Amino acid sequence: MGREYSIELKNLTKMYGRSKGVSDLTLNVEEGDIFGFLGPNGAGKSTTIRSMLGLIGFQKGSAVLLGMDVRKQHGEILKHVGYMPSEAMFYPSMKVKDVIRFAADMRKMDCAEEAAMLCECLSVDTEKRIEELSLGNRKKVSIVCAMQHKPRLFIFDEPTSGLDPLMQAEFFKLVLKYNKQGATCFLSSHVLSEIKKYCRHAAIIRQGRLICTDTVENLTRTSAKRIRMVKDGVAEEFVYKGDLNQLFAGFAGHDISDIVIEEPELDEIFIHYYEEEGVHDTI
Amino acid sequence: MILFKHEMKMNLKSLLIWTLCVGGLCMGCILLYTSLEDSLQDIADAYSDMGAMSAALGMDKMSLATLTGFYATEVGMMHGLGGAMFAAVVGTGMLSKEEAGHTTDFLYVFPVGRTSILVQKYLALVCNVLLFNFICAVLYVLGFLLLGEEIQANEMACFHLAQVLMQLEVGTICFLISAFTKKSFLGAGLGVPILLFAADMMCRIIPAIENLKYITPFYYANAADIFTSGEVEVCMAGIGIIVTAAAFMVSWLKFTRKDFAA
Repeated sequence: MGREYSIELKNLTKMYGRSKGVSDLTLNVEEGDIFGFLGPNGAGKSTTIRSMLGLIGFQKGSAVLLGMDVRKQHGEILKHVGYMPSEAMFYPSMKVKDVIRFAADMRKMDCAEEAAMLCECLSVDTEKRIEELSLGNRKKVSIVCAMQHKPRLFIFDEPTSGLDPLMQAEFFKLVLKYNKQGATCFLSSHVLSEIKKYCRHAAIIRQGRLICTDTVENLTRTSAKRIRMVKDGVAEEFVYKGDLNQLFAGFAGHDISDIVIEEPELDEIFIHYYEEEGVHDTI
Repeated sequence: MILFKHEMKMNLKSLLIWTLCVGGLCMGCILLYTSLEDSLQDIADAYSDMGAMSAALGMDKMSLATLTGFYATEVGMMHGLGGAMFAAVVGTGMLSKEEAGHTTDFLYVFPVGRTSILVQKYLALVCNVLLFNFICAVLYVLGFLLLGEEIQANEMACFHLAQVLMQLEVGTICFLISAFTKKSFLGAGLGVPILLFAADMMCRIIPAIENLKYITPFYYANAADIFTSGEVEVCMAGIGIIVTAAAFMVSWLKFTRKDFAA
């Protein structure tokens, strides 16, 4: 029996006039996975997500979510999707509790119990008006709206930006809880550490094109080393990716008074995926 | 119909303000009539002899010296313009406010089809116009009753029916603008009733542009014409209904194919 996919994107192409938002993007997310979607600003992450949700159309390719075609079964798909946009915006004059109830009513569901649990976990003050809330607190309301109906597929677009570390941890605790219950999670993020910590697979997108997709373990495995040394009395620090023998050969004739070779930081490993094509012997 | 209820709730304050302002102002004018009655006879004589201007204001057909005449010329004009501006305000913001307020990613990811969203939002516009006119009509009738004046029920009903059609036409044109825009173009929306009102006045004064009467809905909703003839010009109102239906259809075509801004 083949693998079940929650998200299947095939040659997805979205053009904005003449410029390409996303080009020939093919991506599969297995059911029950926590999938990280990485890329620099303007890479096409939000365009991909908004195409999957039918908020914007696409010119070429196909998007199948939970086995249903986005173009043909859009309404049915959205019944089972919990989406948290990067900008958590609501109607300013509404109270938090009214927004949460409105979201449940729009789904024709009674989510009061789950919503109460989520509000407690995230310390959401339901009596406040949206206009009184900070970005972080609006994000928390957005999390409640995305989770209260216990969807089969979560799509989060930069969910932790604006959340304090305590709430970030609480958010991922909830994600892991729903994931354990069988939900799939598609997570677009800039925060590499959370991708490494929580995601099993990840894809990297740059300039609208998918650069690679693999397990997070494979993506973070690298031969690159961070070198810190004092050469000819001058302190130097850089990340080196290549043959170490060649590096050492280059030291001939220099006075190396100190050298430390260590594993690079996570963002240093990912940065070369973000950069333009080029020589990356020294990152 | 959750979205319909939500829209009604969101527009409630605006509905109350506009209704109290326009309806209250017009009712105030009706109540002031008795204190102005004596001087109005002279003004009526003067106005009725102003040629084209009298025609534009309907004073060649109705006399300011009677409450019905005063209602058909002064109050009717204020109600028509105020009501059309209210419909324009509601219509202009109805769809575009989601993109302007960045709430598209919240509202449009519920399992509700775009057609259903459009219909529910449009019904909220229709309901706002109906409530506005109903409350205003009640206030005007109350004004007549307080003065102990007889109400020409048929003419009154025809006038307010025509007003509803006219305001719906203006509101739907603005709803169409709203479907095409990503920001709230309130200025453009308010310009629609003002332009159409001006077109009505102009086509009554200048024979060369008389055909503008087929474009402006203020023409078939003119109080003086309705109170004189006792009916709404069916052909003109029919054109208005066709324009309204066409504007709604184009709104639907655009909205169901639109890329929503985040």
